[in-house]
Amino acid sequence: MSAHAASRPRILTATFLIGPATFIAGLGVIGPMLYLLRYSFNKYDPMELMIETFTLSNYGEFFTSPYYLGAYLTTLRVGLISTAICLVSGFPLAYVLARSASRFKNLMIIGIVVPLFVGNAVRAAGWMSFLGSRGLLSVTLMKLGLTDGPTDFMYTEGTVIVGIVAVNLPYMVLSLQSVLEGINRNVEEAAFSLGAPPLTMARRVLLPLALPGIAAGTILTFILAMNAYATPVLLGGPSFNMLAPLVYGQFQLNNWPSAAAVAFVLMATTLLLTILVAIITRQKFREG
Amino acid sequence: MAGVELQGLSKHYGDFQATEDVNLDIADGEFLVLLGPSGCGKTTTLRMIAGFIEPTKGTITVGGADVTRLPPWKRSTGLVFQNYALFPHLTVAQNVAFGLEMHKVPKAEIGGKVATALDLVQLGHLADRYPRQMSGGQQQRVALARALAFQPDVLLLDEPLSNLDAKLRHEVRHQIRNLQQRLGITTVMVTHDQEEALTMADRMVVMKDGRIQQLGTQRELYDDPASEFVASFVGRSSFIKGRFSGGRFVSHGGLAVETERRLAGEAVLALRPERIHLGADAADAASPDGSNTYRGKVASISYLGSSIDVEVKLNETDRVIAQVVNKGRESGASVGDEVSVTFPRDVPVFAASPA
Repeated sequence: MSAHAASRPRILTATFLIGPATFIAGLGVIGPMLYLLRYSFNKYDPMELMIETFTLSNYGEFFTSPYYLGAYLTTLRVGLISTAICLVSGFPLAYVLARSASRFKNLMIIGIVVPLFVGNAVRAAGWMSFLGSRGLLSVTLMKLGLTDGPTDFMYTEGTVIVGIVAVNLPYMVLSLQSVLEGINRNVEEAAFSLGAPPLTMARRVLLPLALPGIAAGTILTFILAMNAYATPVLLGGPSFNMLAPLVYGQFQLNNWPSAAAVAFVLMATTLLLTILVAIITRQKFREG
Repeated sequence: MAGVELQGLSKHYGDFQATEDVNLDIADGEFLVLLGPSGCGKTTTLRMIAGFIEPTKGTITVGGADVTRLPPWKRSTGLVFQNYALFPHLTVAQNVAFGLEMHKVPKAEIGGKVATALDLVQLGHLADRYPRQMSGGQQQRVALARALAFQPDVLLLDEPLSNLDAKLRHEVRHQIRNLQQRLGITTVMVTHDQEEALTMADRMVVMKDGRIQQLGTQRELYDDPASEFVASFVGRSSFIKGRFSGGRFVSHGGLAVETERRLAGEAVLALRPERIHLGADAADAASPDGSNTYRGKVASISYLGSSIDVEVKLNETDRVIAQVVNKGRESGASVGDEVSVTFPRDVPVFAASPA
């Protein structure tokens, strides 16, 4: 009886603590999303804008129009490639950070976090001044006599990927670093003493043990890349299409049903791939 | 199997000498223990043999081959850590198989060798467990099996018992020693626990400040310590400070002591508690001529079970601890009692270390 009596205030406390967040999430996220989902089944009319109905034509159009499909594939490609680059280039950096005993370690971590203080648009502007036809890179190449005239490195998929990697890399490094730091150094040394050269050790010991961090970092950077807005708009230029700018474009044209449908395709794809990564890593982790 | 030879092994970090001129000749099949307080250089020495630390000077040879500049994975050393360091994502059998796979043992033979190694530590029945499902003692035995499975030239043990509780420590201690003798594998163990060193080693090395203080068998180190430090670190001693004048030791408190070894000037005697004889009065003295016998007062008593430590105050400056066997009720000196104390004549004597 006394245990029961004691647990009542605890439940009240818990309710009080979770309450506000649940309320905000319900009102601010789930509600609008359900609204949007409903919109995606409506019909767009140039005169009346939105006609209440129930049709799958917005989704149908998405998956049949070369324009939408092209943007969809570009988004997937950019998302996957930039995430892969983040993982491959972030892992060694995270490892060095995690194993560092330097007194400058905190400074190094701050160095990785600092770029996050700069907004994506500002950062993209930085890239533009570096990569544009009158940018630093182009002028330097000309001065060195490597190119005859100005070269424009802007408005390509590669530029967008570089921009997104620069934005997302800190998230990957921090996710990996926290997990790598938890792996005992002696475990690595045990592998060495058992005859494993460094790369074999990394493959057989470090990678499997870092899997939770790899999963977290991959999911985080993938979601960010899939939903990138400022970077593709500013570095990709008007003819470069990814889904997040496309959604915004549709909204601006007042085509809410189409915008809603594209938004849901984007969200569903991201969610699906994220769940896939989670399932794979979890299985791997169980297997060992 | 092979002997290990360390020649002039030094490791400097800037001005700090982690080890300085360590010379050791470890025989094939020998169990050598490096003993010392933390920071004495014993772990640095072990890690240099394993290949994790590159020496500043000196050479390491294993079985006659110079391995000084070889990376750890090219050396044949089985290593056991204080914190076990098992691969948490692998089963016991996979952990043990790891070294065999790295040494390119044919797949068909690995299963058998893993089973043999696990049988050595009596854990064959737990082959499919994960390390987290096992006790500390079991994990350390798996680590031992893993280190031995690929038949390394040398087995290195880095404080292997320190994370275990007292009872397990005893058990694993015997297991390691038995296994080492059965396999005849050259073994180097690092510990700060002198009891481990005394019970396991063929020979032991006491280190301090990066240098070897003394190398020898347990008996040599215990009965004939080379320095005051060794006498205090291996076993217990009561120290009596004084000086030699005219071939005779006189303590600062005024005791005249006959010693076999004679020095000149300031000196220290190291008295083992079990070698001090305690009597009820002077007539009960242990030496026939009554020499080295003094009167004192019992200052404190520590009951240890099988024995009793009696601290006797001989004068204002000299105090000794004598260990007497607990023979039941009659062996009961009590605090404040007048007793007689007799020192042996073959007591270790050292020149006083400069203060």
